[in-house]
Amino acid sequence: MSRFSFLSSDRAVGLIFIAPFVVMALVFMVYPIAEAVRMAFFSYNPLRPDLITYVGLANFEFIFSDPLFWSSFTQGTIWTLLSILFQTVFGVGIALLLHRKLFGMAIFRGMLLFPYIVPTVVIALIWRWIFNPEIGVVNYGLLSIGLINEPIYWLSTPTMAMASTIMLNVWKYTPFVVICVLARLQAVPLELYDAAKVDGAGAFRRFIDVTLPQLREVLIVVIVFRTIWTFNKFEEIYLLTKGGPGTSTFNLAVYSFEQSMASLRLGVGAATGVVMMIMLMIGSIVYLRVAGFGTEEKST
Amino acid sequence: MDVRLQRINKSFGAVPVLKDVDLVFPSRKFVTLLGPSGCGKTTLLRMIAGLEDISAGSIYFGDREVNRLAPRDRNIAMVFQSYALYPQMTVRKNLGYGLRVRKTPATEVDSAVERVARILEIDHLLDRKPGQLSGGQRQRVALGRAMVRKPDIFLMDEPLSNLDAKLRVTMRGELRRFHLDLNATTVYVTHDQLEAMTMSDLIAVMHKGVVQQFGTPEEVYSKPANLFVAGFIGSPPMNFLEGKIDSGRFRISEAALPLPPLTRGIAPGLDVVIGVRPQNLSFVTSAGPNALAGIVSLVELLGSEKLIEVQIADRKRISVQVRADSQIHLGQNVHVEFDTSSVHVFDKLTEQSVLEAMR
Repeated sequence: MSRFSFLSSDRAVGLIFIAPFVVMALVFMVYPIAEAVRMAFFSYNPLRPDLITYVGLANFEFIFSDPLFWSSFTQGTIWTLLSILFQTVFGVGIALLLHRKLFGMAIFRGMLLFPYIVPTVVIALIWRWIFNPEIGVVNYGLLSIGLINEPIYWLSTPTMAMASTIMLNVWKYTPFVVICVLARLQAVPLELYDAAKVDGAGAFRRFIDVTLPQLREVLIVVIVFRTIWTFNKFEEIYLLTKGGPGTSTFNLAVYSFEQSMASLRLGVGAATGVVMMIMLMIGSIVYLRVAGFGTEEKST
Repeated sequence: MDVRLQRINKSFGAVPVLKDVDLVFPSRKFVTLLGPSGCGKTTLLRMIAGLEDISAGSIYFGDREVNRLAPRDRNIAMVFQSYALYPQMTVRKNLGYGLRVRKTPATEVDSAVERVARILEIDHLLDRKPGQLSGGQRQRVALGRAMVRKPDIFLMDEPLSNLDAKLRVTMRGELRRFHLDLNATTVYVTHDQLEAMTMSDLIAVMHKGVVQQFGTPEEVYSKPANLFVAGFIGSPPMNFLEGKIDSGRFRISEAALPLPPLTRGIAPGLDVVIGVRPQNLSFVTSAGPNALAGIVSLVELLGSEKLIEVQIADRKRISVQVRADSQIHLGQNVHVEFDTSSVHVFDKLTEQSVLEAMR
């Protein structure tokens, strides 16, 4: 085979097309992950780059015996589960509303993406003002309609701080769920609803027996992605509460950051990242198996 | 249970889709709504089902007006074009869904499902899901879901259109047999005139939201009420020729063809369209006033018959159906004669049958 025939073959063209992505992936994904895994086995103080020593599993022993790691894990799990729960419920609900042909829905649909588009740092700063106990608009509103008698310390009591970070996350990412669910809703065959009506199903039964099964597959995917992204989320918590008050809104991402940057234990931070990755991988695989992803019967 | 439609009107926004539909479907008859796409037949069926609002008019099941009844309260069952089986449920669950929703005891549901599954010969498929079935099997499940509740009225919306040609012929016969077993009134929607002809007790031919003719298959075939019905029913389609009536004869170009005696009453000089089916035309050896001269322009073998296209005067073409062994060749000069008794005459202006009006 001559040189020219290889260059013009489909294989060569294909390789040329994927080469840029492969290079990018190697540089920006594979290398950093490999480096993080490697670093997890070293003691690495950025102030003493001459003293990088191999420590085996010492970093992992450190984090597993650190109570803050475990409380960060628990808090991170609560924050993830509640965020996902509310995002899914609100997301499906809003999508069902938007699916109806109501006046002004097109405009609302456009506006819906707003929280998702605005950078997190902007939103977090705005929310800090909104939730400010003295001059924030939330307390002002609640006080003036008489729902509360004294200001709520949204960001400075542990429970309320956790609730506020969850609210922010739900507010920002519900549109993502809405878009995914809405796209799937529009593909549900209308004859299925007609058949259910003739069979005698009321609105609730039609939702349970027609709509939900059709949404199952998209919800599984959305929940997996949202779980991974939320569990790993750093900037929303850090920008809104810095993990506080105290360490009450630490999740593992914040814990990793604090170990690396504040305590200058880069190896421990990296080990935390590795543990998070393994947790999420196991969690995702188990979830997809249990949920039976990919076994959905296509509608006929 | 008989179904009466009284001056039914329907419009989507400003677009009228059904105009003054007046029909009575006698109890236990197989009635077909037949027409091309967009004629309003499916809309009418959905209105009988209660899935579509009625803009004006009334629907009665027996003596009961059902206009405002929800589909679930009409004791109807419907088979959809796409079958609309619940994809996540097994065949068993699909069949029993209507009964379960109505809170029927589980043992009753089971026995009803098993009974229907046996009749339809799908009992070995009960634990499969619709995605694992062939088109024909899904069709049977959809039928079974409709049969299981013993409805008063069976509605079917083009249920055979997704099947291949051979299966469609088999299912035609089966549907007809099921109808006879079930003792329910069946309303069947199709655009396929062959389905309508073979299965129905009565056919309502629809076009542009208006019922063109309502009668037995024999009636719509042999006594079409207007040009549309004449052209829509029958395969190969009827030939139409425009000309004038003159003392009991039909004048077209040079020829003056004899017409049935009944036509003698028609006003002379009336512009008419005559229709004659390819089966009622034949070739004669000699030219004459009763025959049209022409040249064979196409020969199609249909199997047991041949369809011959003949070009006559004024570049008009007519089709003649002959036996397959007839020796007719392309380019041959021929003379075509009409079977006078089977000629249909339509007023060119109103498109209505002149003959049927005089009978």
